Amino acid sequence: MLKYKYILYSVFSIGTLLSFASCEKVIDVKLNTSASQVVIEGAITDQAGQQTITISESVPYTSSNEYPPVTGAQVLVTDDNNHSWTFTETKPGTYTFASLKAEAGHKYTMKVVARNTTYSATSTMPSLVKMDSLSIKIITFGGDDIKTVETHFKDPADQVNQYRWVLKVNGVQIKTVYADNDRLTNGNEVTNTLFYDDDDNEKLKTGDVAEVEMQCIDKGVFTYWFTLSQQTQNGPGGGVTPGNPPSNIDNGALGYFSVHTTEKKLITIN
Amino acid sequence: MIKTLYTCLFVFFCLFSSAFAQQKFTISGTVRDAATGETLIGATIKIQGAARSFGTSSNAYGFYSLSGTSAEYNLVVSYTGYQPFTKKISLTAATKLNIELGTDKAALQEVVITSSSRKNENISSPQMGLDKLDMKSLDNLPVLFGEKDVLKTIQLLPGVKSGGEGNTGFFVRGGAADQNLILLDEATVYNSSHLLGFFSTFNGDAIKDVSLYKGGMPAQYGGRLSSVLDVKMQDGNNKEFGVEGGIGLIASRIKVEGPIVKDRGSFMISARRTYIDLLLKASSDSSLNSNTLNFYDINAKANYKFDDKNTLFVSGYFGQDNIGIKDLFANDWGNTTATVRLNHVFNDKLFSNTSFIFNKYHYAIELLDADNNARVTSLIRDFNLKEDLQYYSNKHVIRFGVQATHHRIAPSDITTSGNSSFNPLAVENRYGLELAGYLSDEWKLTDKLNILYGVRLSSFSLLGPGTFNTYDSEAEVASSSTSGSGKFVKTYIYPEPRFSASYSLNEENAVKASYNRNTQNIHILTNANTGSPTDQYVMSSNNIKPELADQVAVGYFRNSKDNSFEISGEIYYKWLQNQIDYRDGAELTANANVESELLYGTGRAYGLELYAKKTKGKLTGWISYTLSKTERKFDGINHGSYFPARQDRTHDLSLVGIYNFSPRWTFSANYIYSTGNAVTYPAGKYNVGGLTTYYYTDRNANRMPYTARLDVSATLKAKETKKYQSSWSFGLYNALNRKNPYSIQFRDKKNDPTQTEAVQTSLFGIIPSVTYNFKF
Repeated sequence: MLKYKYILYSVFSIGTLLSFASCEKVIDVKLNTSASQVVIEGAITDQAGQQTITISESVPYTSSNEYPPVTGAQVLVTDDNNHSWTFTETKPGTYTFASLKAEAGHKYTMKVVARNTTYSATSTMPSLVKMDSLSIKIITFGGDDIKTVETHFKDPADQVNQYRWVLKVNGVQIKTVYADNDRLTNGNEVTNTLFYDDDDNEKLKTGDVAEVEMQCIDKGVFTYWFTLSQQTQNGPGGGVTPGNPPSNIDNGALGYFSVHTTEKKLITIN
Repeated sequence: MIKTLYTCLFVFFCLFSSAFAQQKFTISGTVRDAATGETLIGATIKIQGAARSFGTSSNAYGFYSLSGTSAEYNLVVSYTGYQPFTKKISLTAATKLNIELGTDKAALQEVVITSSSRKNENISSPQMGLDKLDMKSLDNLPVLFGEKDVLKTIQLLPGVKSGGEGNTGFFVRGGAADQNLILLDEATVYNSSHLLGFFSTFNGDAIKDVSLYKGGMPAQYGGRLSSVLDVKMQDGNNKEFGVEGGIGLIASRIKVEGPIVKDRGSFMISARRTYIDLLLKASSDSSLNSNTLNFYDINAKANYKFDDKNTLFVSGYFGQDNIGIKDLFANDWGNTTATVRLNHVFNDKLFSNTSFIFNKYHYAIELLDADNNARVTSLIRDFNLKEDLQYYSNKHVIRFGVQATHHRIAPSDITTSGNSSFNPLAVENRYGLELAGYLSDEWKLTDKLNILYGVRLSSFSLLGPGTFNTYDSEAEVASSSTSGSGKFVKTYIYPEPRFSASYSLNEENAVKASYNRNTQNIHILTNANTGSPTDQYVMSSNNIKPELADQVAVGYFRNSKDNSFEISGEIYYKWLQNQIDYRDGAELTANANVESELLYGTGRAYGLELYAKKTKGKLTGWISYTLSKTERKFDGINHGSYFPARQDRTHDLSLVGIYNFSPRWTFSANYIYSTGNAVTYPAGKYNVGGLTTYYYTDRNANRMPYTARLDVSATLKAKETKKYQSSWSFGLYNALNRKNPYSIQFRDKKNDPTQTEAVQTSLFGIIPSVTYNFKF
């Protein structure tokens, strides 16, 4: 968050110099095309109820954003206590288990057999850190009031914690990855600001309803999301060289298997 | 190791013994500008006798020494842009002769640009890969915002690639931006940019001499892999007081110089400040006029000649950048350097310079929100002691010396107050000691064959106190040990051989070859393109091995039409070892275990550089073209195979033209073309976490669109009075208003979220500038 804030603010300040000069345009680029890859997105939460694992395929960059489901896979989740749950395909590519609640401190293993390949991954349920509240922060810059949502929570001092947030405004997900750990904030009352770029998203305005989901995630899942978030930060002079974030799933599948806590809060922008 | 050194020494002295066979006398002294008393670096001193003629050039302090057998000689001293000095001498005893050259009024009518102050130095000198910038030609070249800039001008030379649009960062022969040794009066300048790279720390007014070594580095330089940029400040006029300055669109500068004691000592103070934020303050927008955005710098130098044998120089630089948003954010950074030097002439053949140098780079970031406040500070600080000796014999110039540098890096200190989300943190300081000894000999073997050979023995020691960890393949701490203050934790010793040779086919043609090895122990960690003021510095350690580079180069050099055309071609190949990249999701800021985030690999770079230059006449200028490839290889990146480095650009072309239309009007233009940077574009896409996510295959396998730009400028000299000179410079940056790519991003289309699009950001369109310069 520290680095992110630095980049953001320095872009703001230096932006006053550059904004009169810089411009954007959509260009045609020549891209390589790769064979489609298996994408697995597995999420098991601490909320009793239906849990979902989706399996799909990547598409060439030039295709539309529709991802073919991978059907007929076998999906099994086990824990370190000899429990096992067989997921069933309820929609093409969507595999669910009707009632499952992951317990803190337990390690879960996902095994997927799809297209004659076995993919497996493990993830451990962290203990819950509760979100205390949401608030709105207003930054005045360049004649604009930029409104952002802030989350407040108390980080436990005696453990290493990683978090992810998902922000939706009026039901539409904001296209920014938020992930942070407590490396620099351990044990504190933490305020986390969910900035986003209004190039890609609608600006927050009065009357909007923002929904924040806070997840406590394990280290492997954090590295996945944090790597993705770094690639979308573009500081002066360009960001990190993009690459595929390190998945906790083996055998070359894209995606992740995340066992995490989940908690949602709403706030109306005034 | 020691044995090798002794063998070298022995060979050296065997080589000399022949020089002592005959009775010889020496003529020595200092070459200066007659009007200002500035010493002239690299002036040619020739003595022509009935039997033989030979020559040398003045060193960095204007000192020269030549020896010959007892005879009558004709002494000729020349320097580009000055009237040659000739004198009959009879060398029957050791002779002391200080020479002052008057500027050549005829030559001043035309712009003279040259890579060397000696007429055909590029043919006769064994040095290759050296480019010298003429500070006068800098005044006429068009640049962004009209701010003349040493670092932007060297990017127009072959083998030097720009760090990006309007950026002072540069890449030399495939090296990274942190592999350039940038020296200001011998002090290392760690961050040579202002305003996140749009301006360099070098104020052209205060600079006397700029030399860029791209290869064949002489043995007195060490510590970086790719290049040495040796910048020397002016000494100041020791004859009379003078003031000069300039008023530009976004910055102004002033310089004052004059004698301390006439002909014995002088001083120079030069200062510069931008006033973008003063313009912002004029804005009625309350959120803009409270922002900070400025930089300033001050160069100061003084020298005093105690007697013919001892001269003291004191010089310093201080610069600072400030950016900030009221109540939200503040960031400042800057360099400080101080150099104290004593020139001592032991005798007419042995010249010594002792330097004590301090340099520091620091930054501070402050987040000012009540619940997120933090102040992060970081610095790197060196103390440096150098002793350099130059011995002039008949056919040899022997250079030897020792250097010791003590480094301290304070990686990050975080302080917080009140109910901040952040914890205070102090990442341990790191201490290092670099020691080096060197010995080199520039030897005129025959009239045609000159060689420059030598060795630099460099060592680096990581010193305690501190806790030193090793890391396993998962980046977790594997072992940990603590060392007390001053304890040597890890030491690396490397001999660095340096060799260059030139063979003159005739007066106008020469072939040259060189080999050099360089090591580097201070590394910058950055995952931005060309660096940011908050990059982390790390030293070699138990985890980080010294970076190594071996470079070979061969070249052909040709001068024609009385040296008014210079043409050269060089081919180089460079091997790089222990290069640094980062793990996925690396956290480089305020991380005590930052060394766990690093990956190590190798690199290779090779290329062809062509250079043609016209140095005399109404129209002067140059064409430089580089064809090159730069690759890196790391386990775990790109399936462990070579991939293009970000700065890999296949073609790089610069055209520079200066046309001296009349005594009052000078027009100039430059045009650059370069292949786009190597970048990684997606090969596919998928959806995770509700977001379109891109699938990547090969690292840096794609290319940004090419960059091309035409800049033009015109300089009008106002009518000169005896006391007051002034000129106007008008410039157009990117005169064709071309949208050059700065970055490319991929995103969902706003009006059709089922599709994605590539968006190119361009920084500067056409930018006019005007600057008023004065001198009295």
